[in-house]
Amino acid sequence: MIETRGLTKHYGSTVALDGVDLDVSTGAVYGLVGPNGAGKTTLLGLLAGLRRPTAGDIHIEAEPTEIAVLSDTPRFDPWLTGREAVELAAHLTGGAERVDAVLEEAGLTDAQERAVGGYSRGMLQRLGVACALVGSPRLMLLDEPASALDPLGRREVLDLIARLRGSSTVLFSSHILADVQEVCDTVGILDEGKLLFQGPLDELLVGSAVPRYVVRCRPPLEPILAFLSRQEWVTAVEAIGPDELAVTVESLEDAEVHLIGALAEAEARVISLHPEGVTLERAFLELTR
Amino acid sequence: MSLWRLEWLRLTRTKRWIALVGVYLFFGLLGPFTARYMAEIISFAGGELEGATIELPPPVPADGMIQYVSSVTQIGTLVAVVVAAGSVAFDAIPEMGVFLRTRVRDLSRILTPRVVVVTTALLASFLIGALAAWYETRVLIGPLDAGSVVIGSALSMLYLVFVVALVTAVAQRARTVIGTVMVSILILLLLPIFGISEAVGRWLPSHLASSLAALSAGEAAADYLPAAAVTVVVTAGLWWLALELARRREL
Repeated sequence: MIETRGLTKHYGSTVALDGVDLDVSTGAVYGLVGPNGAGKTTLLGLLAGLRRPTAGDIHIEAEPTEIAVLSDTPRFDPWLTGREAVELAAHLTGGAERVDAVLEEAGLTDAQERAVGGYSRGMLQRLGVACALVGSPRLMLLDEPASALDPLGRREVLDLIARLRGSSTVLFSSHILADVQEVCDTVGILDEGKLLFQGPLDELLVGSAVPRYVVRCRPPLEPILAFLSRQEWVTAVEAIGPDELAVTVESLEDAEVHLIGALAEAEARVISLHPEGVTLERAFLELTR
Repeated sequence: MSLWRLEWLRLTRTKRWIALVGVYLFFGLLGPFTARYMAEIISFAGGELEGATIELPPPVPADGMIQYVSSVTQIGTLVAVVVAAGSVAFDAIPEMGVFLRTRVRDLSRILTPRVVVVTTALLASFLIGALAAWYETRVLIGPLDAGSVVIGSALSMLYLVFVVALVTAVAQRARTVIGTVMVSILILLLLPIFGISEAVGRWLPSHLASSLAALSAGEAAADYLPAAAVTVVVTAGLWWLALELARRREL
């Protein structure tokens, strides 16, 4: 659906994007992850046609009218009602017959006749989603759609995005990794204008999966750290809390065979131990460190 | 909900039409009144200064229009610039600009309703004020030549069309509504300064601003044809420039 090659954007001497090769397949829910200032908004702006690239090519398999863009903080003329805002979007992109349906889907049916100026932040975000959905877009570009919402508003917007799977291709930028991990099937990691990784989420998590155990035990930890660091099958060991150790091993099998015995030999008073789950956050930190 | 209806709602729900009509109608009623009763007003305000007595000649009908025009050329134009800037600076709030720009690729579709609706409201307001001034002048002072009033009003309205076009072009470069207003006012203030020389001034759009008063006082309409021709061309150029700047703008 989206293919960019060598996409570069400079603002004066600042390089906002540096040779980005983005591939978003049709039907994907693609999460573009990166810290603030990574270039996510610039990339979405280029794809939306709101900015011009300094260099590189963009190919999108959708007409401009089939692309919906939702900014991070949607704003509307405050004197419009919610329904009128959606009707305006429908007039511009088509889909007048879907106005009631998208208002319902966004949970705004009861508030549709109220002036937008009285809407909460979450309601504005959902109204933005409704305006984007009304034209039945083939591609949706969502810039940090849930980043400034309270937990309830965030949940509502994430559920809306999750429901888009199968009906639209979604490119969704966020610095909240848990959101991306929850709703996206493909991930791109952007940092300082460079795309460090892109591919299926599972591939990222498995590829970044360094086998590691988390051990909780009574202090002092120093003798245990010293003992474990001398074991051949331990590649690293570190205290990650006052009573917690992270033991990186060559393989989980090694840990399963040797770890409990080694802890006993070190006379550790063990409270619990478990293999560490791989999260997008950890994979992201591994890549951007 | 079309973009035309959106602009109509902007004009009516934000009460901007009241600001426009109110200002022009107020000065339309006030101008002839002050022209007729200027001597009495000065007398009430303490007309004798250090033993000197101010004596004014009896008012003539043209004075009614002169008072109207002098007021609306300043305050009326300022209100017009503010109202126009609030409408045509559609990127001033970038999120609203994104909403429109990602749905409408031909930017003239966005700008045309905004310019047409605000210009129409402005011209109607000017006309209401001019008609009020004309009627009140006739009642209080005496009749004016209808042809002069009609042609003078038409030329003044052409100047207002130029003002909106100027604001529209400026808005596509300025980042805020306030910035648009400030730059537009600055340009409108500079124009008469450039036109201090009569040889230059008679070609400038700002020459048209006083045409209603001048024609009511007996000047020939032909004196304003050069400025009218230049204004038409410059207005068209500003409209082209506005579209070009809007296309080049990045959000």
